[in-house]
Amino acid sequence: MAQREHRITSSARILDAAARYRRQKKALEALEQDNFHDEPHADLVMSKKVPKFQESNEKGPTKKKKQRSSEYFKLKFRKAINTLIEEEQLENVEGPNYSTAGAPPSKLPPRSFCTVCGFPSSYNCIPCGGKYCSLKCLKTHQDTRCLKWTA
Amino acid sequence: MPKLILDNGGYSIKAGFSTAEKPRLIPNCISKARSERRRPFIGDQIDDCRDTSGLFFILPFQKGYMVNADTQKTIWDYCFGKDVLDVTPTETDIVITEPHFNFKTLQEAVCELLFEEYEFRSLCRTSSSTSADYYYSITEGIQKKTSCTLVVDCGYSFTHIVPYVNGVKVTESVRRIDVGGKALTNHLKEIISYRQLHVLDETYLINQVKEDVCYVSTDFSQDVEVSKKKLSENNTIVREYVLPDYSSIRRGYIRKLEETGKRAKDNEQILRLNNERFTVPELLFHPSDVGIPQMGISEAIVTVIESFPEPIKHHFYDNIVLIGGTSCFPGFKERILHDVRRDASIYADTNVFLPTNPTFYAWEGAKKFSQDAEFSKYTVSRNTYNEKGLNAFAKICDI
Ligand SMILES: [Zn+2]
Ligand SMILES: [Zn+2]
Repeated sequence: MAQREHRITSSARILDAAARYRRQKKALEALEQDNFHDEPHADLVMSKKVPKFQESNEKGPTKKKKQRSSEYFKLKFRKAINTLIEEEQLENVEGPNYSTAGAPPSKLPPRSFCTVCGFPSSYNCIPCGGKYCSLKCLKTHQDTRCLKWTA
Repeated sequence: MPKLILDNGGYSIKAGFSTAEKPRLIPNCISKARSERRRPFIGDQIDDCRDTSGLFFILPFQKGYMVNADTQKTIWDYCFGKDVLDVTPTETDIVITEPHFNFKTLQEAVCELLFEEYEFRSLCRTSSSTSADYYYSITEGIQKKTSCTLVVDCGYSFTHIVPYVNGVKVTESVRRIDVGGKALTNHLKEIISYRQLHVLDETYLINQVKEDVCYVSTDFSQDVEVSKKKLSENNTIVREYVLPDYSSIRRGYIRKLEETGKRAKDNEQILRLNNERFTVPELLFHPSDVGIPQMGISEAIVTVIESFPEPIKHHFYDNIVLIGGTSCFPGFKERILHDVRRDASIYADTNVFLPTNPTFYAWEGAKKFSQDAEFSKYTVSRNTYNEKGLNAFAKICDI
């Protein structure tokens, strides 16, 4: 793959609609992301050190009852949010539910901003569709983002 | 016996007894620091951490919903424990907020945790906006003799526009915009990382930068023009932010205006913020600026109100209530007022109410509700729950 990319000069490459869609989707997912790096000290079992409510508080739930482990809650309730949304859509097509409550698209004309400097822009980069406002920003865009990181 | 009020948000928990003046604000996450191998920081324990660079977060919420019940339990164990609220669940009635359209499995998880694990005596399930509607109706709304409120809850995970008629949520008209404080912080991180300095791992820091420097523009095209100017040409928008080094500077701050543009002192690392200050919160009003195919807050407010018949519309325009941490941006209220007045189809008195503390308003409302003469009608006891399960809430809970 890397070799092939070398042979084709970047100016000859144009991202197709699917690649642009993937890029856009990735950008939207990044807005949702909680962490952009790996968990430090992930090897240590830290939860052991966390005091549990029952131990720290004698007035807690009646002692005869055994508390459920966190594994229990993981298994029973931990579900990916997208799975929950899909399941609900199958059960309740009509709504109102999470899916029907999403705000519809805007009726206002879309605005475009330079991906480099953030000011309003009126041009689209031909290879990738990214927006730019001036030759200076186009140059920066080509040197940094344009077709980089595109699998 | 005081009630325990728990406004359980995706970003922060507002928790306290109904006897308290205000709640304790506890980040709803477990943080791990590079500098501390030995301990995870639960909730506000992170205040003890000296070096907060590169924090890693474990959150019970995803997209605004409590999908990780086990993580939530760890954080609640801390909140209810003797170091924080010292709760005796078997003798305590609890009020909790849940997100709109909460998924059934997750509703079960909340009930199971509170009733079966902690064994609370009784439970009242509500939402932040329902609590805010209640509070507003017994305070600001009372002179207006109004029956309609439009609550706009702009939080961390998303924004909800929620209409109430006579205290009842009009569920089919509720609209959600998938932009909240988290998307703004991540967007700011992304553009700073591209334009100046790699900060993708610094959510905690950039969140502070956002809170310290960002604002909602009330005249976008003018702010664009001003921010295009050089500093010497009277660019009144640009700010410089001194980053913490976690030794002599523990928390970042905005450089004094008269120092802006001057050379940094040896120990100072500086971020320069110009159009970022207002283009980032602008996503709340134009999600399509980053490709989210949804209308923004002002347009959604007008669209929701306009879906009601004529006499009711007037009441909604007159009683727009803003809550949630993300509504704390300077200019937020003014912008909404300006846009809604411009776009309303009818000539209406438009009033936007921003509480003194938008983050605490729902907690305060839930507290007032727990003191209402009718409150006990909206609670389910542990015995009833054991008999009927989630169905016990069917008629008294609007989640
Ligand atoms: Zn540009
Ligand atoms: Zn390009």
